[in-house]
Amino acid sequence: MDIYLPIAEVSVNAGILVLLGAVVGFISGLFGIGGGFLMTPILLWMGIPPVVAVASEANHVAASSASSVISYSRKRQVDFRMGGVLAAGGAVGALLGVEVFRWLRLMGQADLVVSLSYLIFLGLIGGLMLVESVGSVLRQRRGQPPAKRRDRRPVWLYGLPFKVRFPRSRLYISVIPPVILGVFVGILSAIMGVGGGFILVPAMVYILRMPAGVVVGTSLFQIIITTSLASILQAGRNQSVDIVLATLLLLGGVLGAQFGARASSRFRAEELRALLGLIVLIMGLQMGLVLFITPEDPFILVGSGK
Amino acid sequence: MIPPALPPPAIVAPEPGPTVSAALTDANVRVTSAFSGAQIVLYGAVFDPETRPSDVVVIVRGPDQPIRIARKVRVAGLWVNSRPVVFEGAPGFYMAASSRPLTEIASFSTLRRLGAGIDHLPMNAPEEERIETRYGVRDVVVSRLGGDYLDWRRAVIRLKEKADLYATDHEGVRFVDRGLFRAEIDLPTSAPIGEYQTEIILFQDGEPVSRRARTITVEKAGLERWLFLFANERPWLYGIVSVLIALTSGWLASVVFRRR
Repeated sequence: MDIYLPIAEVSVNAGILVLLGAVVGFISGLFGIGGGFLMTPILLWMGIPPVVAVASEANHVAASSASSVISYSRKRQVDFRMGGVLAAGGAVGALLGVEVFRWLRLMGQADLVVSLSYLIFLGLIGGLMLVESVGSVLRQRRGQPPAKRRDRRPVWLYGLPFKVRFPRSRLYISVIPPVILGVFVGILSAIMGVGGGFILVPAMVYILRMPAGVVVGTSLFQIIITTSLASILQAGRNQSVDIVLATLLLLGGVLGAQFGARASSRFRAEELRALLGLIVLIMGLQMGLVLFITPEDPFILVGSGK
Repeated sequence: MIPPALPPPAIVAPEPGPTVSAALTDANVRVTSAFSGAQIVLYGAVFDPETRPSDVVVIVRGPDQPIRIARKVRVAGLWVNSRPVVFEGAPGFYMAASSRPLTEIASFSTLRRLGAGIDHLPMNAPEEERIETRYGVRDVVVSRLGGDYLDWRRAVIRLKEKADLYATDHEGVRFVDRGLFRAEIDLPTSAPIGEYQTEIILFQDGEPVSRRARTITVEKAGLERWLFLFANERPWLYGIVSVLIALTSGWLASVVFRRR
């Protein structure tokens, strides 16, 4: 059934949107990520204007993250204090990001920055995840002991002022690194239409040295706050949230997320990470490809009215 | 919106010269959630006491929409957009249908004066222009785009044609019977909202002898209209409502699944 979207002003198939929402929601629940990095490019390929795709997708990410964070919180796998600190940074980042995106659009450079961000961040993180997890899967197959984790925490994490206790994460560190991380992810969420889980999760593990058990839940919690805020800001500043589009996506999304969360217990963590790394890497390369291919038409219309 | 009242029918005796008359099957296009473009049929008649060869040109002009266009340039091996050029005065939708190719119907200057045909659209890029004195002539308009100006203009038209927003149809006006003609106006899904000025011009011997104007109104209706107004008039409330919907449905799904 084709449906005309009131803000995007294009006609799309409603069934396909619900199905897409469900598939991305499943992946989101399976890996404990928002899934925006998958959905935003798909929406762009479907012909949804970039501004509307990015803004409406923030809404969809908020919904599927809310759907899965509740089950993590029941298992006491959310560090609300750390999530709050990250979200405070995220709020500042989202504010900045919405303004930066506005300015980039006026300069006609939004496409370039979106493609470059996907290529760099997704390519880098996907590649690293893939190498690291394939390595540990291979070591397990050969019966070797898992590589020793460097447990020594970097000095700078402790030398900085404004130290706060995070009991759930068993940490006593300065709030400066998580706030900066939050700002960075907030900017990305406004520009790329993603929650930023694919950056937050590795950053929490490798930079903040949080215990693996609370990482995913905490990341989802902060994503909900940042994307909700980004969504309200995009609606208020740019009038670019399409409520019909977001609702169709989240119908499938919240259900898919629940099935995904259940399925996740059937896989090994390393195998899941390898698969996620592969998906992230492919998506980054695919989005970045446009920068290298000679365009069919040397001219491009860069948004008219809005 | 109430359509503007039509002028009262003229009571005076019909003019002696040839006249053209036309009507639309649908002067009001409602954009609802089921909208997937629209086809409007324009039909009309040529009244001419004598039988001179007649040509009819139908021009549909949608609401003006500034166009931002960029050129892909290669920088350090990467294809990136140049600074965009803004064209003003270009309509969001434009169709020129005629019974013969326009160049056979009238001269270049007549077409230019009437703004008939895509080549005669009065669009330009004012931000790129500056006025200077050249060869002692004052107030000469110079475009920063220089000789490429035509490339840019042609690119605008090409991209708009690709999106079905601009069209030229040399056989778009068909005479179905003596003096009776019809033309079809295809509005794509992406057609802008607003008033479309439709002009029907009768040409004889290369001169416009009679003109008629009709208006098509494209407007959002029903839920689409309500949501669009909500998003634009109360943007912050709209944003909060959409986030509440998202969070509530996420929470509901997790509650429902927990019970199972």
